[in-house]
Amino acid sequence: MQKTPSKIAALVLVGTLLAPALAFAQTTATASSTPVAVTAKMKTAISHADKEITRRITALNDLDTRAGQMQKVTDAFKQSLKTAVEGQVAGLTALQAKIDADTDAATLKTDVQSVTQSYRIFALVVPQGRIAAAADRIVTITGMMTTLGTKLQTRLAAAQSSGTDVSKLSMALADLGTKLSDASAQAQQSVTISATLVPDQGDKTKMAANTAALKTARADLATAQKDIVAGRKDIATILKGLKVNPSATSTPATTTTTTP
Amino acid sequence: MGTAIKWIIALIVIAALAWMVWWSGWLRGTGATSQSAAVPSAASSTVAATPPAPTNGMSADADTSDAALTQDAAAVDAQISAYSVDATNISSSMSDTPVAQSY
Repeated sequence: MQKTPSKIAALVLVGTLLAPALAFAQTTATASSTPVAVTAKMKTAISHADKEITRRITALNDLDTRAGQMQKVTDAFKQSLKTAVEGQVAGLTALQAKIDADTDAATLKTDVQSVTQSYRIFALVVPQGRIAAAADRIVTITGMMTTLGTKLQTRLAAAQSSGTDVSKLSMALADLGTKLSDASAQAQQSVTISATLVPDQGDKTKMAANTAALKTARADLATAQKDIVAGRKDIATILKGLKVNPSATSTPATTTTTTP
Repeated sequence: MGTAIKWIIALIVIAALAWMVWWSGWLRGTGATSQSAAVPSAASSTVAATPPAPTNGMSADADTSDAALTQDAAAVDAQISAYSVDATNISSSMSDTPVAQSY
């Protein structure tokens, strides 16, 4: 059995998250001796901004939780990712508080535009993080299947020693190795493609390039998923051939991800 | 036989015995011997490195029993199912639509 990569190189992802931090417009409120009533328009703007910020904070917190469950990256990387995500959450939380307290239309407008402008960072950071997490799980799975494959190899050798014809089962084992190797490569490729992307900051050409790269990374992971499923079928074949508990030979129902 | 000759023979015999003991290493470097004896005992008393506990519901690495294989296959299946959620999350994040802002 081939060894799978033990770590995913995703350090550039950290740089992407840390470097272009959300740049929230910090404007000083226009001093006014007379309190300004918050207009209906301002209330609507505040409500929309609150919804968007809350939505992003929820997504970032989910990503933070998922990042903490990653198994194949270093603790330092996980902490860096966690720090970067939590920094964004803190920035959004502060912006939300500022917007909620805005009584000046001009200031509110500037703050709301910050929400819009910062979206391009969010729109990249979350998919990058999700891709890294998915790739991490692919490598975890290939590691587990490699371990299982090694055990199957031992059992096949024993069966062969006792006179059993294991030629077909050996072919399944070989195919398993091939599938796992490709799955790992696809996972690594997905991270390599996506981790180096930087926010487009409104540049439409860059936006298109980023979108294309993310789609390629997602396609690589889809290929890795197919490899994993095919490898699991090989395992089922071998378990059946070795007459291991029949309930272990059924392959799980696979949820095929379709683009919404 | 004269007394002197007897003494000489006795000394030769003693010398020969002493040489044999030395040659066998029984007396040579007694400290080192005890040290080298201590090393094996120390080594044998060293607890063998404990292999890391299996994770993600896998059975022990050395266990190739039917039960272990079944357990491992189930553990893999659980991860494959969990991966479906990861894949869905990727697609969702890539098709994200922001709340329209008023300004």
